Amino acid sequence: MTRPLKPFDYFEPTTIEEAAQILSKYSTKAKVLAGGVDLVARMRRRQIQLQYVVSILSIPGQDYIQSDKTGLRFGALTTIRSIERSPIVKKDYAVLHEAASQIASVQVKAMGTAVGNLCVATPASDIASALYALGASLRIIGPASERTIPIEEFFVGVNKTVLKPDEIVTEVILPSPAPQTGGAFFKLVRTVADIAKVNAAVNLTVTDNTCRQARIALGSVAPTVIRATQAEEALKGSTLEPKVVEKAAQLAVQEAKPIADLRSTVEYRRGMVRVLVRRAVEKALTRARA
Amino acid sequence: MAEQMVKFMVNGRSYEIPIEPHMTLVEVLRDKLDITGTKLSCGAGECGACTVLIDGKLALSCLTLAMTAREKNILTIEGLAEGGNLHPIQKAFIEHGAIQCGFCTPGMILATKALLDENPNPNREEVKEALAGNLCRCTGYVKIVDAVLAVAEEIRKGGS
Repeated sequence: MTRPLKPFDYFEPTTIEEAAQILSKYSTKAKVLAGGVDLVARMRRRQIQLQYVVSILSIPGQDYIQSDKTGLRFGALTTIRSIERSPIVKKDYAVLHEAASQIASVQVKAMGTAVGNLCVATPASDIASALYALGASLRIIGPASERTIPIEEFFVGVNKTVLKPDEIVTEVILPSPAPQTGGAFFKLVRTVADIAKVNAAVNLTVTDNTCRQARIALGSVAPTVIRATQAEEALKGSTLEPKVVEKAAQLAVQEAKPIADLRSTVEYRRGMVRVLVRRAVEKALTRARA
Repeated sequence: MAEQMVKFMVNGRSYEIPIEPHMTLVEVLRDKLDITGTKLSCGAGECGACTVLIDGKLALSCLTLAMTAREKNILTIEGLAEGGNLHPIQKAFIEHGAIQCGFCTPGMILATKALLDENPNPNREEVKEALAGNLCRCTGYVKIVDAVLAVAEEIRKGGS
């Protein structure tokens, strides 16, 4: 069993700006609390010790999923469970729906926020892979500034992001899918509660039987989630016949830089990148044509 | 940080008690309020024994800061029975032998309630998915899943 929490000072701001100001004052001694499934567990394990906890749970208007012609947006407090159950996500952003469906337990998903999952910056994040494939951007607010960056610029290493200590990710923005776009998410995992050995997220746009757009993201095979850009190039402009799909899957293997750990060997992860990319492309293709 | 007076609503009753901000909800329930049906096991969000419902939503009380649950409606296993009558989910667990040592049972039953509130007609796979976050080390889950499917049918037929 993990140990009880050590004392800390607790803040409960009611606006993002107020939260950013508190974070600015205490910098690395403070952290944002949202769902708590990662932060509180790490504090109980003594993997992190904080003097200040800044709960954003009382900030109104942060738990939403909105969609219009330009795309889809969700907020800092939108849970993974809400994303999984959203009919619009299931219909138009299948990659994200499938990633959310395959994560952990219902309890963890009902508490855990998608933005929190991103801020943990695990290279095994299923949500991050799905959002890479969908071309997501993140809105980031600090005490005196605001910026919106592509998700690929957010991660810099294992558990490391570009987020400054006083910045908060407040929104995830997804462009609306082009007509005849389909996506799919696959992962290999020992049990649902464990993190992925390998994950692959693919989004394809296919018109006149030709692949116009392709995004392939891989998780758990590099210090951050990565795009397999050479594999994407192999698909673009092709008619996606099995030989081309297999070639793209092999290119993705070369782009992966996995490590060996208790979950898998390097060789196994490489082998599975090929299998998962092939399966995800095939399924995405079926959906794009549907 | 000093203790603060905080109001909790547990099973429809209001409690005003002093707590420190680093207390988790399971500690407040068990150690401050003596409401011990909620169990603490892994303390890491893996086992589901500490599952409660907060405003109808599933929550792991070992990873919930008590401060964040104040003024909200917290439902624990003690709040399911009405008067002396067990809730139909509790009855079904007993009838189907879905309880051995009983340590996981409060969490299992609250996870079941959350499932049936959302989906009154789950299939076997959906029940298994809904309970995947609740570990039982005694049984093989078969009787638990049987109990959930049986009570779902009973509730659909209008049994209280």
